[in-house]
Amino acid sequence: MSNRNNQERSKEIPETAGEDREKRRKEQPKGELAEIRFALYLARRNPLVIAGAAISVISVLLAVFSGFIVSPDIWKISNLAMRLCWNNPLINWHISSVATCSGTGVYPLGTDAYGRNLLQMIILALPLDLEVSFEIVSSALLIGVVLGSAAAYIGGLVDEAIMRITDIFFAFPGIVLAIVILTVFGRTLPNLTIAVLVVWWPIYVRLVRSQVLSEKEKPYVEALKSTGASPIRILYRHILPNSIYPVLVQFTLDIGGVILVFSGLMFLGFSPDPKLPELGNLVSDGIQYVFTAPWLVIFPGLTILLISLGFNLLGDGIRDLLDPRLRR
Amino acid sequence: MKLYEYVIRRLIFMVFVLLAISIIVFYLTRGTLPPASALAPYVTPKMTDAEKLGVAQSLGVAELGCPSYSAYVARASGCIVPLYQQYFSWLKLALTGNWGYSQIPGIAVGTTTWQLFSDRFPYTAELATVAVILTVVLAIPMGIVSATHNNKLPDHASRITALAGYSMPLFWLGFILQLIFVLYITVPHGSEQVGLLQSSGTLYTQCALCFSNPGGITAYTGFPLIDSIASGNAAYFWDSLLAIALPAFTLSFGTLGALTRVVRSSMMECLRQDYIVLARSKGLRERTVVYRYALRNAILPALTITGYIAAALLGGAVIVEDVFSWPGIGAAALDASLYLDVNFLELYTLVAAVIIVVANLVVDVLYAYLDPRVRY
Repeated sequence: MSNRNNQERSKEIPETAGEDREKRRKEQPKGELAEIRFALYLARRNPLVIAGAAISVISVLLAVFSGFIVSPDIWKISNLAMRLCWNNPLINWHISSVATCSGTGVYPLGTDAYGRNLLQMIILALPLDLEVSFEIVSSALLIGVVLGSAAAYIGGLVDEAIMRITDIFFAFPGIVLAIVILTVFGRTLPNLTIAVLVVWWPIYVRLVRSQVLSEKEKPYVEALKSTGASPIRILYRHILPNSIYPVLVQFTLDIGGVILVFSGLMFLGFSPDPKLPELGNLVSDGIQYVFTAPWLVIFPGLTILLISLGFNLLGDGIRDLLDPRLRR
Repeated sequence: MKLYEYVIRRLIFMVFVLLAISIIVFYLTRGTLPPASALAPYVTPKMTDAEKLGVAQSLGVAELGCPSYSAYVARASGCIVPLYQQYFSWLKLALTGNWGYSQIPGIAVGTTTWQLFSDRFPYTAELATVAVILTVVLAIPMGIVSATHNNKLPDHASRITALAGYSMPLFWLGFILQLIFVLYITVPHGSEQVGLLQSSGTLYTQCALCFSNPGGITAYTGFPLIDSIASGNAAYFWDSLLAIALPAFTLSFGTLGALTRVVRSSMMECLRQDYIVLARSKGLRERTVVYRYALRNAILPALTITGYIAAALLGGAVIVEDVFSWPGIGAAALDASLYLDVNFLELYTLVAAVIIVVANLVVDVLYAYLDPRVRY
């Protein structure tokens, strides 16, 4: 990637006379603005990042405005007359037992076992899944920043203690720890959030620690120490901002990852309410009808895949943009 | 530090990890669940309350002064032994191999937890092994092609496949595959149309490609694929292979991305090295340069990640086993959590932790052995 990139960059800036280059350099914007422009230039060359960003932004917007698009309490209402029917002419399931929805209502993605409009349920599920995912990943990030930077910066016994504790959590079969927590404390939404968080935080401690470890040996930290800056100030004002980018990449990637685990737990039957519009729970509800009403499984699962793919594409793209080998 | 010192240090640390894990699970379950569930693995339903109380006292979970079983169940004061003492008596029992009876319904009465676990483990191990083989077979070529055709169509295709693997809800993929092979790809079979494959645990009851009555095998090892070869039953082997195909593919699709990404980046790193330039300038064929020079060095990081993948899969693929009704330890752990079988959960987390820690150790040692630059 870098070879080709270098070639193209050198084509853009022909290495002719030194004077010419000086002039060009002056014309180019300086500092942060140049950084951003260069990042945008690289992003334009990578359509996958654009696609990822578009999917992520659209899903977040849909989640934020879902309450305006669909009445937020409509999931509580069953309409058994409209149970498991389909009237979207664009897709023919080739299943003889599929019922056609009566009346004039349009159900683009069919109806579920409670007679609810599946498309509405998916739109209502978005805010729940995304909110929980953001909560879990932000909390894990916070724990990671506090414990990881403490471990790396203080070192010694503190480092040893924090890292051995994370080792214990790494040796746990992740999802089973979450299952045990849910079994013991009950299936509520806060418990589900905590169960996934307990499994998730150690990654961030390791990541932040390794970043801070490599950053704290650099000359500017020496210089800051010699000016008499306090260790807390050096750590939080200087080292952390310089080492946060890989952590932010991980944050973006994990939004998708957490949705997978969270909806997976819901799928396994840890939903607090069987009617709750949550993507994994919708799939779980649809399974018993998978051979008669396959849309109940297909579309909620496809939504999980799309959201997760969007954030993964975005995170992967950001990682590429920040990759020094690419920026050389 | 010498290699064996390092290994011994890691093994000692492993004992602490296992103790910590068992304590966490013990406190989570015994500390919160009703006292009857802690006792359940060691008593039979036919016992009278007085006998149950006797067992509870001899196990060290009920105080000797406890008046009745109902008082123990009601957590009456002076009845429940403090948790840390309970832990030590439980640990003593567990270390002697007494894990009590399984609480999961649908299993022969009187099956011990240990028996259930050792019956189920080969299924998970077999599924994990096939999935790891599939992952390696698919991911390494994808990673190589991705690195050698950087930023061209094959690269984009393999990167998107890898990312789709990362982003795939495996429970969904499992059902979609079943839907395709059962509902939409059907062939005439006898008088009716049946699906190409049909999912129902380890063998299909009705499917177009398999023998409907493959006969029996002798359970030498508990691994269906190995046992069927050992028994010389080719039909059973074929049926087992068909049964494992969809769950193993589903599992490997989820792990494909990680391995592909590692192979790709380490391959790209290797192809930039000076010795590659030298090899090319000697006029060697590109194929020789890629496979004999670059791949040999690029494969090491892939080894690490393969070790982690194998450990994670051996530790039980709860969701995939659940979707395909695969009778492995992951699905059993899910049942155990539903029916509060606390001892099975303990046994499962401990064995999974041993597998994860040992696999990490083996990978580290192997890495150091294969790459002399690595030092401890």
